[in-house]
Amino acid sequence: MTDNMGIDAKELYQLRSYLRDRGILFAYSGYVTETVLSGVGEALRQKLALEATDTKTVRSVFAIFVEQMQNIIRYSAETEHKDAGNARELRYGVLTVAQTGERYAVHAGNVIHRADQPRLETRLAALVAMDRDALKSAYKTQLKAGPEPDSKGASVGLIEIARRASAPLGYGFTAVDEDHVFFAIEARI
Amino acid sequence: MSTNPLNLPAFQIAATDRSPHVDFDFDAGRLRMRGESYPEDVTSFYRPVLDALDKYFGALGTGDCRFELSLIYFNSASAKVIMFLMEMLDAAAAKGAAVDLFWYYDPEDDTMQELGEEFGEDLEHARFHLEAMVRDAE
Repeated sequence: MTDNMGIDAKELYQLRSYLRDRGILFAYSGYVTETVLSGVGEALRQKLALEATDTKTVRSVFAIFVEQMQNIIRYSAETEHKDAGNARELRYGVLTVAQTGERYAVHAGNVIHRADQPRLETRLAALVAMDRDALKSAYKTQLKAGPEPDSKGASVGLIEIARRASAPLGYGFTAVDEDHVFFAIEARI
Repeated sequence: MSTNPLNLPAFQIAATDRSPHVDFDFDAGRLRMRGESYPEDVTSFYRPVLDALDKYFGALGTGDCRFELSLIYFNSASAKVIMFLMEMLDAAAAKGAAVDLFWYYDPEDDTMQELGEEFGEDLEHARFHLEAMVRDAE
């Protein structure tokens, strides 16, 4: 008997195969909180350690994971007041870590307000155009900017992601409904 | 020169998975932070640390201070605080204190070495030392 409890094992198996075929060794989909970050982060570190990757790569993947998760947490906290009905949706994040040989790719996605897309796109386009030296000086400028409105914090996080990545960041948006879009970002290490 | 004119008691915070071990021995003039830094709430973690340093440097005058940073990893929110902390050290040195800042990096991770260079190059008065971490027993 393969279906003795009546559930469709095939569906879950297909999901597993889908992830595996894409080289995804780690995936998280769900609400993102600091507690989740701690637990999932620890699991990710253990997984990476098992893959016997070099120390610097493990730390870079982990650092990108932390910034991406914290960007989602910060964004949902910042915008909750103006979108109380969707607060739960905004806290929902998807994060995957894929491996191809010695290379890694971290993808993260979350729902944002359509109105915030242009600002984010401008920022990302600027980051993608920067070389390592420009990223370094942008990072420092932001660190010295002092405690500014939270939106600044998010950009230090993005700069950190760009610096840890070994190739320019990838990103994209897709419509969810009238007021929301799904934002996805990719960092290769 | 006295290293602890106010006789401040030692200041310590034990390490957690997400925050560093803080060990300020003001009597010895030896201040250390080691481990990882990506606390849930950076502001509330570092506020007492910065307050303790503020009090200490306010009274240090021309005394000696050795500050050791041995961090494996810190997130961008912590980076802001570390930058601020280094500015505090430099300000104390500008006022006459003999401040030596040691930035220890893991030799297997040149990211932390690069960050040390970047953070250290702005110091004008404190002496900066960038050194590979010796994996010790602690």
